[in-house]
Amino acid sequence: MMRLSASHSAGPSLIKPLMTALALVFFLGATGYQAISSGIDYSLVVGVFATRFLGIFVEAAPFLLLGSITAGLIEAFVKADDIWRLVPRNRLAATVMGAFLGLVFPVCECGVVPVTRRLFNKGLPVSLGVAFLLAAPFMNPIVFASTYIAFGFGPVFIGRIVITILVAVIVGLVIGGFAKPSAVLKPLAQEQDHAHEHQAPPSVRARLLQALQIAADEFFEMGRFLILGSALAALMQTLVPQESLLALGTGSVLSVVFMQALAYILSVCSTVDSFLALAFVNAFTTGAIVSFLSFGPMVDIKSTLMFTGVFRPRIVIYLILLPFMLNLLAGVILNVALGY
Amino acid sequence: MLKSLTRPRLDSVNPNPIAWVKTAILLGLGLYFSWLIISGNLTNYINQRFAWLAVVGAAVFIGLALVTIYGNLRADEDCGHEHFPIGWDILLITSLPLLLALIVPSRSLGIEAVNGGISLSPVGVASQAAFQRSPLDRNILDWLREFDRAPSPAAFNGTAADVVGFIYREPAFAEDSFMISRFTMSCCVADAFPIGMPVSASQAADFETGVWARARGELRAANFGGDVMPVLFAESLEAVEEPRQPYLYP
Repeated sequence: MMRLSASHSAGPSLIKPLMTALALVFFLGATGYQAISSGIDYSLVVGVFATRFLGIFVEAAPFLLLGSITAGLIEAFVKADDIWRLVPRNRLAATVMGAFLGLVFPVCECGVVPVTRRLFNKGLPVSLGVAFLLAAPFMNPIVFASTYIAFGFGPVFIGRIVITILVAVIVGLVIGGFAKPSAVLKPLAQEQDHAHEHQAPPSVRARLLQALQIAADEFFEMGRFLILGSALAALMQTLVPQESLLALGTGSVLSVVFMQALAYILSVCSTVDSFLALAFVNAFTTGAIVSFLSFGPMVDIKSTLMFTGVFRPRIVIYLILLPFMLNLLAGVILNVALGY
Repeated sequence: MLKSLTRPRLDSVNPNPIAWVKTAILLGLGLYFSWLIISGNLTNYINQRFAWLAVVGAAVFIGLALVTIYGNLRADEDCGHEHFPIGWDILLITSLPLLLALIVPSRSLGIEAVNGGISLSPVGVASQAAFQRSPLDRNILDWLREFDRAPSPAAFNGTAADVVGFIYREPAFAEDSFMISRFTMSCCVADAFPIGMPVSASQAADFETGVWARARGELRAANFGGDVMPVLFAESLEAVEEPRQPYLYP
C-alpha cells in the first residue's frame, strides 16, 4: 500500500492551481455580472448557479458511479494477459477496434474515463484506449437511438457516425505514436497493476468486495474532476449570455467553431445532446450541427478535468485541440459539400 | 480478507479520519439523492423521465458507503482499499455538492436564469400525440410547435388557449404585452432552454416580471415586436403557484 501511495503524487499538485483558477473565474464573473446588472439580487445569481451545478451533478453522478463500478470490476477480474490475447498486433486494426469498443462497454462520457484508466492499467495499447475514450460516448446503442429519433436517417446521423470514427482513429494513432506509454499516461495509471497482481485475493466474493472498494476510491478520484467541471460549466451558463454567442454563429466556418465551443461549454450528456441540437437546426448549418454532435461527447469541460487525472498535461492539450481541429475540418467540408 | 464475520477487534478499526470522512460523504450523497426523490425536488434538476437514475445513484452511494464502513472496521486485514492517498483537498471538492445543497434552498430555474432572451421556436421532436392534444390542453411548447408548422399566423385566429408560465418582458414590449414562458428540459438543467409565446392582456401591468401566471383567452394574428405572429389575447390572467414540474419536457 505504501508503494502505491508513493507512486501517486501528481494528482493533488494539479488540483491547487485548478481551484485557484476556479475561484478567480468565479470572483471575476460574479463582480462583472454585478457591475452589469446592478438591479439584480446577488443571491438570485448564486441560486441559479446552485441549481445548474446540482442539476449537472445529479444527472452525471450515477453514470460516473456505474463507470467506477465497471472500473473496479475490471481491476479485480480482468487479467493483463487477457487483454494482450484479444488486442490485434497491428496498430491500425487495434485503434479501429478501440473506436468500436463502446458497443461492448456501453459507457457515456462520465463513465468512460475511469474505465479507460483501468484498461490502460491492464496494459491496453494507448492508441486503442484513446480511440475508445473519444468514440465510446457516442458509439453505443442508446446514443444511436436518440440521434436517430431526433434526426432520422440522413446527413446528420451518418455524418455523426463517420466523423466520430474517423476522428477517434486519427487522434488514437497520433497519440499512440508517442514513443512510450509513460510519455502519455500519468504514473499511477500504468504502475499500479503489477504492484497488485501478486496479492489478488482468491475468492470471487473477496474480489467483488475489492472491486467495490476500488469503485468507491475511483468515485473520489474522478468525482473531484466531475464536480469541478460541473461547477465551471454551470458558471459559464450562468454568466455568459447565450444571445451574445448566437450572434457569432453565421458562415460555414464560424458556425462550426461556435457550435463546437457551445458543445464544450454546455457539457451535455451524449444520450440527449441530439435533442438539444434540434433547437439549433434552423439557426445553424448542417456541418455545425454534426460537429456539435461529434465533438461534444469527445471533449467537454468536465471530461477535460477528468482527463487530467489520467494523461500528462501536454497530452490533455492534444486531446482537446486535435478533436477540435479535426471536427472543425469535417464540419466545414460537410458544409461545402452541402453548399452552404 | 473476509476470513471471519465476527465482531471487529478495536485495533482493526481504521484510525485515519480521512477514511471515515470518505464514508460520511458517500453516505451524505446517498441521503441527499434519496431526499431529492422523496421530497419531489428532483424535478427542479433533472427530467422526470430520468428519475430512475437518481434511484440508482442513491442505492450505489449508500452501498459504497457500507462497503467502506466494512473496510474501515477491518483495516488491518484489508488490501483492497486506499489505492489513492485521498487527501483533504479531494474530500473538500467532493463535499461541494452537499455543502451547496445544504446552504442554498432548492429551487427551479425561473426568470432570473433567463440569460439573453426567450426563444419563440419550439425545441425537440414532437410525437404524433403532441399534435393530437385538444387546444385547451396544449402547453406553451405544444403551441410553439403548432405555430411552427402552421401555413400562416392567422391559422389559429379565434382558437381558445389556456397556458401556465412565468412572465417575461423586454424593454421594447408594449405596456399591455409580455411573453408567457417556461424552460424546456430534455435531460437536466444543463440543457434548459427558455421558450415563450406572446400575450396581450389589459391587466398585464398588475403582474410583475417573473411571477407565475395562467393566461386564458383567444389566439389572433397580431404584430408583436415587429413581426406578425399568433398572440394570445388573454381575457383572464391569474397568478398561480409554480407547477410541481416546472419544466416542459420536449
